[in-house]
Parts: sequence; C-alpha cells; structure tokens
Amino acid sequence: MSAPQSYGHILSGGVWSNNQMLVALLGLCPLLATTTSATNGLGMGLATTAVIVCSNGTVSLVRNLVRPEIRIPVFVLVIASFVTLVELIMQAFFYDLYQVLGLFISLIVVNCMIIGRAEAFASKNRVDRALLDGLAVGLGATLVLTTLGGLREFVGQGTLFFQADLLLGDWAKAISLSLGDDFHGALIAILPPGAFIGLGLMIALKNLIDQRAKRRQVAAQPASAQPVTAPT
Amino acid sequence: MPNSVISSPHVPRVNRVDRVMLDVLLALIPGILVMTWFFGWGLLINCVLAVTFAVAAETVVMLLRGRSPLIALRDLSAVVTAVLFALSVPPILPWWLTLLGMLFAIILVKQLYGGLGYNPFNPAMAAYVFLLISYPVAMTTWLAPAGLAEHPLSFMESLRLILNGTLPTGFEWDALSSATPLDEMRGKLDLGQTIEQIGQSQTWGWLGGRGWEWVGVAFLLGGVYLLWRRLITWHIPVSMLLGLTATATLFWAIDPHTHPSPIFHLFSGAAMLGAFFIATDPVTACTTKKGQLVFGASIGLIVYVIRSWGGYPDAVAFAVLLMNIAAPTIDYYTQPRVFGHGSART
Amino acid sequence: MITKAKSILLSGSVLGAFAIGGVTLVAVTQGSVGERIADNQYQAMKRKLDTILPAAQVNNDPLQDHIQVSASELLGAESTQVYRARQDQSPVALVLEPVVPDGYAGPIKLLVSVLHDGTLGGVRVVSHHETPGLGDKIEEAKSDWVLDFTGKSLTNPPLEKWGVKRDGGEFDQFTGATITPRSIVNAVRDTLLYVQQQGETLYEPLDVDTTAPASATGGQG
Repeated sequence: MSAPQSYGHILSGGVWSNNQMLVALLGLCPLLATTTSATNGLGMGLATTAVIVCSNGTVSLVRNLVRPEIRIPVFVLVIASFVTLVELIMQAFFYDLYQVLGLFISLIVVNCMIIGRAEAFASKNRVDRALLDGLAVGLGATLVLTTLGGLREFVGQGTLFFQADLLLGDWAKAISLSLGDDFHGALIAILPPGAFIGLGLMIALKNLIDQRAKRRQVAAQPASAQPVTAPT
Repeated sequence: MPNSVISSPHVPRVNRVDRVMLDVLLALIPGILVMTWFFGWGLLINCVLAVTFAVAAETVVMLLRGRSPLIALRDLSAVVTAVLFALSVPPILPWWLTLLGMLFAIILVKQLYGGLGYNPFNPAMAAYVFLLISYPVAMTTWLAPAGLAEHPLSFMESLRLILNGTLPTGFEWDALSSATPLDEMRGKLDLGQTIEQIGQSQTWGWLGGRGWEWVGVAFLLGGVYLLWRRLITWHIPVSMLLGLTATATLFWAIDPHTHPSPIFHLFSGAAMLGAFFIATDPVTACTTKKGQLVFGASIGLIVYVIRSWGGYPDAVAFAVLLMNIAAPTIDYYTQPRVFGHGSART
Repeated sequence: MITKAKSILLSGSVLGAFAIGGVTLVAVTQGSVGERIADNQYQAMKRKLDTILPAAQVNNDPLQDHIQVSASELLGAESTQVYRARQDQSPVALVLEPVVPDGYAGPIKLLVSVLHDGTLGGVRVVSHHETPGLGDKIEEAKSDWVLDFTGKSLTNPPLEKWGVKRDGGEFDQFTGATITPRSIVNAVRDTLLYVQQQGETLYEPLDVDTTAPASATGGQG
C-alpha cells in the first residue's frame, strides 16, 4: 500500500483536483436531474455529503472484518441504509424540499461516487482519513451542485437561492435574489439540456483555471524547466 | 476562368469554401424573396441583424483565440449560418433573441468546438432549437402570410416591432399573428376535425398552407441550383424527402382523414429548406454515400414522427441535430470496403 | 486454514449481520419519525385543499371523509377520490381528482373543488407534462390562468361557452398554446357535469368514520 495521503492532500483532492463530478464525472444522474436551482443543488449536495461521510466512516471501521468477496454487497447495504435514513429524516424535517428532490434522494444509492469512495478509499484507510475524505468529496460535490444549480436558476429564471428558506429556515430569505418578473430567462437552462451545457462549461472553466495555474508554475521556475509544458 | 479549353481528364473543379458558401447564398435568394413577399420586411431586417451579430461574434472569438478574424470571416460560413437562422425564425423576432441565437451558434456551437469543420452540430439549427426551447412563445409567433394578413407590416413598423417590441398602433398581436400550417393542422386534428374540413379554410392553398407552399417551392428551386452546380449531391436531400414522403404516405394511406397528405408535409415548415440547405451541411452530415442515404432518410422519418406526435410544431431542426450526433457512427459503419480487403477499414 | 463451507458460512453471517444492522437502523428511525412524516403528508394535502375550499365554512376533515368513485367517462380515471367538506353534517363542497387524458403531452392531473351550489371553489393542476414555457402556464406558480375557474359554474358561463376563446368560448388560451387550456376547460366542465348528475349521492353516507375509519388516512398517497 502506498503511503497514506496527508490531510491537506485528501481535502484538496476531494474538493478540487480530483473532484468526483468535474474530473471523474461520477454521480451525473443527480447532478443533471436536481440542479434546477441553487437551493435544490445545495439540498442534494448536503444529503449526498451526509451519506458519503457515514458510509465512508462505517466502511473504514469494518474494513478488516469484511472479506473481499462480500465487500461490495456490504457496501451497498451500508449505503442503502444511510440513504433510507437520510430520506426519512428529510421527509420528517424538510418536507417541502423532499417533495422537490424526493425521487432523487433514493437514487443516491446508485450514485457511483459513494460506492467509488468506499471501494477506492475508505476500505483502505484509517477511519479519520476516511471521514475526512467523505467530507471533502461531499463538499466538492455540494460545491458543484450548488454552483450549477445557481447558474441554471439564474440564467433560466433570473433568481438565485429562490425558496432557500425551505432548506435553511427563514433567515435564508435574505440571501435569495430575484431580478424581478421582467427578466426573460432562457428556459433551456432549467431543462435537461441546460444541465449538460452548464456542466460542460464548468468543466471547461476548471480546466482553464488548472491550465493557467500550471503555466504560472512553469513560468515561475527557472528556464531549465521550460520545455515541460504539459501536452493538452 | 483563364482557360476556356480544358482537355481531359475532366476532373471536377475543386470547390473552395468561400465559393461554395457564396453559391449557397445565391441559391437562397429565391427563397428569401418569396418569404419577404409573403412575410414582409422583417425577414430582411432579421437577415441583416443576424449577419451583423454573427460576424461580430466570430471576430471577437477569433481575436480571443489569438487568430486573425479575417481567416474565419472570409469563408462566409458565419454569414450562411446567420442567413439560414434568419430564414428559420419568425420574421418579427425581437432583436435580442437574434443576438442570443447568433452568440450561441457562433461561440458555443461552432468556435468552442474548434471552428468551421470541427463542429458536430449545425450551428444555425442548434441556435434555433436553443431559442425555441427557451422562448417558445416568441419563437412560435408567426405573421400571417400576405393575402391573409389583416395588416401587412410596413418597413418602419417591422423595424419598430423587432427593435422595440412596439406593435403598430391599433393592432393586437392576435390580429397580426397566425398559426403556421403545421400548427393549424395539428391543432384542428386534435379538435377532431378531418383533413377535408381543415382544407376548406381559406388559409389553405394548393400544396400546403397559403404562402408557405411557395416558400417551399422557392427553396426547392434553390436546391436544384445547388445540385446543378454540384455543390451538393442528391443523396441527402432525396433520401430525406423520400423518408418523409414514405412515412407520410404510409399513414395517409391508412387513414387519409386524420393524417395529412405527403404533399402537405413536403411543402410545410422547413422541409425543403432543411433538405437542401441544412441537412446537406458538409461538416455535420455523413460523408459516405451510403451513410448519407441513411442520414437523410432518418431525418425524414424523425421529422414526421415529431411533427405528428412531438411537443413542438416543426421538427426539421430537432431531426437534423439528432442525426448530426449520429453521423460519425453511421459513417463508421458505412465506410466503403477498400478493394482487396475483407472488411471495412477502421 | 478454513474450509470452504466455513468460509461461506462466515461470509454469509457477516453479510447477514450487516443486513440486520442496517434494517434495525432504518426501523428505529422510521419508528421515531414516522408519525411526523405522516403528519407532514397530511398537512401538505390539507394545505392544498384549503386553498380551494371555503375554509371558514368547513369544520369537518375532508381528508378523513372521502369516497372512491368510478366514472372514467367524465373524470378521466378508472377510479378517483372524492373528498367531502361539511359544516356540521350539512354539505359544503366536494373535491375531486379528475385526470385530463388529452393534454398536449400526456395526462394532466387536476384537483377540482365544487361547492354545494354547483360553483367551482377552485382548480389546481397537480401534475402534467406540457411543453415548458407554453403549456405549463396552467401551473399556479407560473400564471394566474387556473384561478379564473374560481366561481364559475355550468350556468356561468352557459354550457356552450365552456371553451377557449379561439373556439368561441369564454376562457383565455395562452399565446402559442391552445390544446392544453382547451383540454383542461373540457375536463373541468365534465367534472361539473358529473357532480350535477350525481347530486346529493356524492355526499352520502354522512358518517364515514364508522364505515372506514382505518383506511381513511391510507387513501391520500
């Protein structure tokens, strides 16, 4: 086994450099289906984060107990239990949001991102690292979901965090923004094609930022390092 | 041409992109004239606006990419995209929708994929669909054709409507607009009327909706010109029109009271424009001959299906985009066998 | 070295243990929040009903007082719920759940309340698949169109005027979409016709609590 990653590495990997949605393109079903508004994206992101932290933690705790042949069914059992739990809790405490996201909450079970982290990380690492990884990956996913949701909502209907109070309570009315009824939104943004176009633009933006950063790094180094321009 | 006597072998002249595009624009002229005659000045205003926006967008992107805008502009492909777009949208579309459409077509659909030759989708049709889905009301508000219109719009009235959204004094939208033949057919069929009853309305002409049938004929003429100049081959247009005709004939034969005739389908909506000018776009269509036949026929079939059972009135744009994405796969499976080899080269 | 059988048994029991653990976890949670969830569902449905009922006059619980009827001809569905609102046993209104079979893109589910005097208490669209931006203006969140039904009846407008303006009726269509509003107007009219046909029978039997107390809450899904 390779040397365990540092905490900082786990965190930055989950949130940015190995972002499961922008880099690995996992969990696209909820990404495309639920991000019609920033609030929905945030809600879905938080639900996913809760599930992934719990499942990562559990999987890591039992990693020496579970024989390799049955690890996948065990992962699925663990994840399914937590998803059902999240679904019940959401129904009990955020019923309005549940009505919007309902169908997709149960689909978190088949989100490859979660079983992917359980298999690739949690089953090979100590519980503290597994929890942190779950948190980082969940945070990365929440960020993407919320940003894409906000983008689609803003372009589509000229609002941002509309109905955020459903999720966050009454104080959130302060952060919801609206351009008013005269805004002619491009409906396509809220429809499924808008999710694909928006995701494509976000991936492009991430690649652009990474490329810029790399170029700056290369430029900062002495001339000897110059031929090392990454093939694009 | 400098040489008037050409000896054999008579290899066809190599077409340069700008010459091809110029010829396509020439071939569009009859259609543009007929549409202007029936739908007024708005069409020409839209053409000018769309071309201006497209050229501006192309220039900006080329500058951003660190290249000379002239290279991209000289091939006239942006102009063709703009004109095809302007011919597809309602002639009184608000200017900012034309702007959005052209930005989408040139920046997102064309240049982000690498510019002319690399775009998988037809930019004009992608822009049309983008706007249709986003702004369905504006994109389906057509003017009544000349002869049926209560009040044909003058040049200034059209300009004001496009730039400002101001209706001519004393008129409401309902007085100016009218359902397209495809819309009317679908709506009245849903009401339970038969084709015969629908056809008795004064909005119907000889081949299809009044006015619209002549637009179709004009584009057919332009298409024949393109064929004659050998800028396109017959495969895509003929197979597309045949695909549409065959499907329409089948259903028409089953029940001519509730399914419009194949002639109606051929001369309504964007069937002719699509067959000769849009589906034949060399960048986004199939390249093998067999592939082009499959490509065209599938478009014809999809057009019929969406027109009859889909959620939006016309279907050429959707059908073309769907087949655009399928074109590489079709090409892959229809590559001609290399002589002496057993199977297709990969 | 463990034998094959032993290995299988071990794996099986580990798997079983996880299954039991998972189920226990879910069961415990379900037990503790189940009531709250049922209450949420109940409240949500009640809020929906309250917007189309004269709430001040109703003092029974329509959600507990419902019957199942079957009239696919007029109500569009094989069987539909009818909720009955009363004030001290005297009828106030009925809430029906008709289905519009001929929307532009598939069936549309409605919630229609008919007051005892035959006027509409209100119409709401529960679910639909209409074209976004065109047909979806039937949603209360997108446009006020559906509110126009409130207060209408079979005599206001007269029966032959129950259609969209393009067909010579009284109701607005939307720019660019006629089919959707037309089919909804027809469905609402049919619902009114059904209620008129059935008359008082829809309010009987008076006291359902004795006939079906247990299934009353189960019918709202």
